[in-house]
Amino acid sequence: MKDLRQLSIAVCVIGLLVFIPFVIRSEYLINLLIMFFLYSTIAQSWNLLGGFTGQVSLGHSAFFGMGDLMTRLLWTWKLPILLASFAGGVSSMLLAAIVGMPCLRMKRGYFPIGTLALAVIAQITIGNILPLPTYLPREYMEGYTHSSRYYLALSIAIVTLWVVWRTVNSRTGLAFLAIRNDEAAAEAMGIKTFKFKVKALLISAFLTGLGGSIFAYHQVSYYHEASFNLSWSFLPTLATFIGGLGTIIGPILGSVCFLTLNELFAITLGQIHLVIFGFSFVLIVLFLPGGLMSLFKQIKLPLSTRSLRGP
Amino acid sequence: MRKVGFMGQTLVYGILNGTVYAMIALGIALVFGIMKYLNLAYGSLIIIGAYGSLFLFRMGVDPFASIPVILVTLFLGGAILYKLFFSRLIELPEGEKIKNSLLIGFGLMNVFDNLAFIIWTGNERSLTPTYSGVTFEILDLRIPLIGLIGGLIAFFLITILHLLLSKTYFGTSVMAVSQDHEAAGLMGVNVNRTYLISFAISVGLASIPSVLIGLQSFSATSGMQWFNKGIVVVMLSGMGNIYAVFPAGLFLGIIEALSVFFFGATYREVTGLVVIMLVLILFPRGLMGKRIES
Amino acid sequence: MLKVEHLDVLYGDLQVLWDISLEVNEGEFVALIGSNGAGKSTFIRAIAGLLKFERGAITYNGILLNNKSPHNIVEVGISMVPEGRRLFPKMTVLKNLEMGAFVKKARMTRFEALNQVYATFPILKERSQQLAGLLSGGEQQMVAIGRALMAQNKFLLLDEMSLGLSPLMVKNIFEIISKINKNGISILIVEQNVPLTLRTANRAYLMESGRIVGQGDAKILLKSPHVKEAYLGMKPV
Repeated sequence: MKDLRQLSIAVCVIGLLVFIPFVIRSEYLINLLIMFFLYSTIAQSWNLLGGFTGQVSLGHSAFFGMGDLMTRLLWTWKLPILLASFAGGVSSMLLAAIVGMPCLRMKRGYFPIGTLALAVIAQITIGNILPLPTYLPREYMEGYTHSSRYYLALSIAIVTLWVVWRTVNSRTGLAFLAIRNDEAAAEAMGIKTFKFKVKALLISAFLTGLGGSIFAYHQVSYYHEASFNLSWSFLPTLATFIGGLGTIIGPILGSVCFLTLNELFAITLGQIHLVIFGFSFVLIVLFLPGGLMSLFKQIKLPLSTRSLRGP
Repeated sequence: MRKVGFMGQTLVYGILNGTVYAMIALGIALVFGIMKYLNLAYGSLIIIGAYGSLFLFRMGVDPFASIPVILVTLFLGGAILYKLFFSRLIELPEGEKIKNSLLIGFGLMNVFDNLAFIIWTGNERSLTPTYSGVTFEILDLRIPLIGLIGGLIAFFLITILHLLLSKTYFGTSVMAVSQDHEAAGLMGVNVNRTYLISFAISVGLASIPSVLIGLQSFSATSGMQWFNKGIVVVMLSGMGNIYAVFPAGLFLGIIEALSVFFFGATYREVTGLVVIMLVLILFPRGLMGKRIES
Repeated sequence: MLKVEHLDVLYGDLQVLWDISLEVNEGEFVALIGSNGAGKSTFIRAIAGLLKFERGAITYNGILLNNKSPHNIVEVGISMVPEGRRLFPKMTVLKNLEMGAFVKKARMTRFEALNQVYATFPILKERSQQLAGLLSGGEQQMVAIGRALMAQNKFLLLDEMSLGLSPLMVKNIFEIISKINKNGISILIVEQNVPLTLRTANRAYLMESGRIVGQGDAKILLKSPHVKEAYLGMKPV
């Protein structure tokens, strides 16, 4: 029953979102929504690995950047955007397989450091090898519509949500939770923890790569290094923390909160809003590690149901 | 002959850079070795120190003479940071400490970088004392005076730190706390105060790279790149081994210099990173090798 | 000397110790016995300042110890040998012993104290330059006890001395502990090895599931039917 109710809510919301570009003309709002879908995607995919499986990656900016880079290159070389986007996701997944997997083998608790190093190396490398900005050729500029960006972003966000939701509610998802709760115990019960951690990593990287493709399709001109910036590692983490680690709705909630507050503060306060953002980040990590979902749980609001057992 | 001289020259710069990298890594490794925190904001703190020495420089204080002042200021600032933020993580298990300290460090980095940007804008700055360009000529190699002094100060500091850690009661208590903090408490060591002081020392040590970087160039948001160098050296030296930090830092500096010599300046950093990754894969002491099995 | 009154200890929301009251007088050798998981180690760690407790009071020679940090407890006059020895693995035996005299008042007398420790445990003098992590279990236990003695405190807390040691080693250790007590050091020992402990101690308290369920003279307790059945595996006659 709960499933059905949640499904119908989701369908309604999606239906609404599909119609938005027809109703709303404001480019600003469309862009904001695209950003929301983007954040939602990367926060959600990060959460699969970090929140549900307990492997906190600080290197997702490398996967985001990889997806962005690959998509951008292929798309500007005339490949259709959908294929380029998919390829972007695959390239992130490959990157994760090559350099992310060794990170999973590290000493307990060192996975964040290993992935952080990965992100640092990726950022420096791209900064060195591709220092020049990327532009859109004229014909691409002429064909640029916000609605197409919107629908790509929306589709990817939906796909991500669906993949994460299905995975978490499968036997694989159970293994993830077991690993998060007590890896040693899970191993002792016969769960091949490494295999499942790799699975979480690869799915997460793929989806984050798709998120990167949204960026590639949406941005007109930018430095390649921008999508490898470490902020893309920490922001999904923050959004998920705000919303609630290890929940399906957490990343979405967190992304909404984060982006809304970000916009509000940016408009009203200017540069200093980044200072406030940094400070809030610290406070959230220190005092509200369970995010808003943990607050809801305490007040027992209807949103707080399945897959909740936060850390 | 001239080509060798040119390589020798780049090596000199490599060694001098390596010294700076090592100093940064020292501060990071010290805290990590003792309390398993990674202070992501360390680079930003270095930049704050650089602005501090710039301020003093404009008032007529020689950059090297400003080091003690910056050291004390950063020491106190570090103590405050620890008390306010980092002390709350101290009871957590190792994995949580690493993760949370990185996250908090990220938040603080944003605060510092953006405050600095607001106050001082994003313009590049540098300290330019009269002796900026002075070099010594030894065996056909030109060694910048600033680099030489920096190297000497670094050496001096390492020695003092070593003596502190091995010959004083405080130093022994630090070693004890890092090996078993509960047992150290049972011996009469004030564990919380030891953590506080160690963290403050680590931030205070940032004063040396502050000034050295200040003498090169810096801007409000350039902190992260220095942390990046530091963390790579820390990983190379085995995550917390403060004695291995120096050779590791020099190693990185030299590799970068050699890559400039062979491949040109564009790929300077990448080559260093690639080599380090290879080293870590082939000689997995420290990070990659501590425990390969799960 | 040491007085514990109505102590409650909680792990988060879970209460593990209920209303513990206990007393050790000067010169006494008091044991707290019970099976694994009864709460004995929790109790002794609370005294040493390693755990917080709610409700209740701990006083030592009239000084209130409520929730002081471990380093304060040592300064007040109580030394502890923790469960599992907890030596500093990368330090030598000598350095470990020297750490024992870390408190300021003990630093002046540390050479004297060291000689006394070597007199009690001659083998440690031989091993003084070896890394503590490489010693055998029995030798580590000796270092741990010696380290606690270095502070020259008059009260010793001992947590599970017998764990992981051979029976011969355990007997050896207990003889030494008894000698230390006869030299004037008051002892509170927490132990799973009931027979040996009750034969060595003056008085004993019995702890089960976080509560004190019995107390009295050690020799008498050794003969009590309950102890015999629960801890010595003897059927009632």
